[in-house]
Amino acid sequence: MNSTVVSYFSQSNELTSLIAGLSKLLGFDASSLVAFIIFAIFAGIIVAVMATIGGLGTYAERKISADLQARIGPNRVGPFGLLQFLADGVKMILKEDIITSNADKFTFNLAPVLCLVGVFATLAVVPYSSGFMLADLNVGIFYLVGMASLVGVGVFLGGYASNSKWSMLGGMRGASQIISYEIPATLSIIAIVLLAGGLSMKTLINGQGGAPQDWYLFHNPFAFMGFFVYFISALAETNRAPFDLPEAESELVSGYHTEYTGMKFGLFALAEYIEVFVVCGVAVALFLGGYKVPFDLGSGQILVEKLGLDGMIAQNIGQFLELGSFFTKTLILYYVVIWVRWTLPRLRVDQLMTLCWKYLTPIALFNLIGCAVWMYAFNGKSIFTLLFHAAASGGGHH
Amino acid sequence: MFSNTLFLASALLTIGGAIAVVYSKNLMHACIYLLASLFGVAGLYACIGADFLAATQLVVYAGGVVILMLFAIMLTGGTSNKINRYGLEKIPAMGNKKTFFTAGFAALVSAMIIIKILLPVFSVNKVTTLSANESSVEKIGTLLATDHILAFEISSVLLLGALIGAAVISRPRKEIHD
Repeated sequence: MNSTVVSYFSQSNELTSLIAGLSKLLGFDASSLVAFIIFAIFAGIIVAVMATIGGLGTYAERKISADLQARIGPNRVGPFGLLQFLADGVKMILKEDIITSNADKFTFNLAPVLCLVGVFATLAVVPYSSGFMLADLNVGIFYLVGMASLVGVGVFLGGYASNSKWSMLGGMRGASQIISYEIPATLSIIAIVLLAGGLSMKTLINGQGGAPQDWYLFHNPFAFMGFFVYFISALAETNRAPFDLPEAESELVSGYHTEYTGMKFGLFALAEYIEVFVVCGVAVALFLGGYKVPFDLGSGQILVEKLGLDGMIAQNIGQFLELGSFFTKTLILYYVVIWVRWTLPRLRVDQLMTLCWKYLTPIALFNLIGCAVWMYAFNGKSIFTLLFHAAASGGGHH
Repeated sequence: MFSNTLFLASALLTIGGAIAVVYSKNLMHACIYLLASLFGVAGLYACIGADFLAATQLVVYAGGVVILMLFAIMLTGGTSNKINRYGLEKIPAMGNKKTFFTAGFAALVSAMIIIKILLPVFSVNKVTTLSANESSVEKIGTLLATDHILAFEISSVLLLGALIGAAVISRPRKEIHD
């Protein structure tokens, strides 16, 4: 792999000497073993962090909704009620695991796992920082789209296997909604791929800069529209309000997970909250500059030159800045998602399909063609570059 | 080491999934096994360095085809009992002695042909080294837009036909009153 956690750490001298020592001790080349161990450790870290973020997502959801509705929200467990999600988790695990007698047991048990697998598999290519991503695949974003579609299968099977009419309706709505909204979302992604000229996450982010005028969001008007198309489609793909028809409480009790109890229900909820994070992360990576920090602080070059720090330490500081940049932007978008949920009323099914097929898909197609024309006409320069050029040459004429 | 493990896992998934599809009595379960088998095929593509093809396999089959198949099965009634509500067996015994004999003969002939074709593949050029980071995306794109433009266009015409067909079928029919 070209640039992953492993290759980042292999830059340091300590690791090289460790590998040499281990090779001598074990009698074979230990570099792949060490790489595997580093990989396993970081995969563990990411899964743990993401599960926590998913759990804290439920807390944030309740707290923000409480703020928006002038309530207090959870405030008993831990400071500010922060440990509420742990209490919920314990409750979920201890609850009786009921499988309804007419359910299709194999599918019933498989559905929440499929949802969770689909979401966790996407975490491999989410770019947390330039050194901290598990795999920089050549087809990164495409792989992410493919893996995320497993969630649709999970939702559908959950609805089918429960053998209940509410679940069935919820599952059908969920699956049709997910495959419909994949189209505008993917078309918006393709427009950005066109600007960057590559499918790997690294290529997509390296085309952008740290400051807002270097982001693809402000690259041209079409990309600007594309961001909103992507964001709306992503909301629908994750079954979040105002598109939470698969689990519309007022019509379907709880939709596709009506019959699920205990931790299986918890897995569905966890998958949803982590998927929201992943989707926000993709929006950040594609449109909002990803992990880039202004003034190129992320590479640590400036710190080495100005402060005389050791190269590796400066790089590590840069990595932390990049992590901060990525997580700040993503969590702001996460806040917006929750905010939208508690502000807007739910759409009807026909409105949902109308919005997707009659509005978002044509707009996304238009954006795609617009981006292509822009790249051809202005040689890939962003609107700000063109404006600065115009201003500079205009000033020269005075 | 790693690619061997990946190959073994994907091959097992592919073959195991395919066998499970055939032996499963429940259509819905068969569809899920098919999903597993298609994932295995994606893994096999990844083994030979066709990363784009692997991702396409995931997007097209996991995302689109399997969900559509599940929809179709569900709308046409994918129940697990073998006898339908009129008391007729849904899965009749297929064929008689004559068909079995013909099928066996056909299988024998096609197996021999396939072995004949595959024999040189196994005997010569065993080792092919993969360049780890070479992306196949650009090559596929270039080839599709230059050498294989005809196939590309024909497939798009096919898709357009399917789209129009779907629109015609799903459209509410106007009753002609006179």
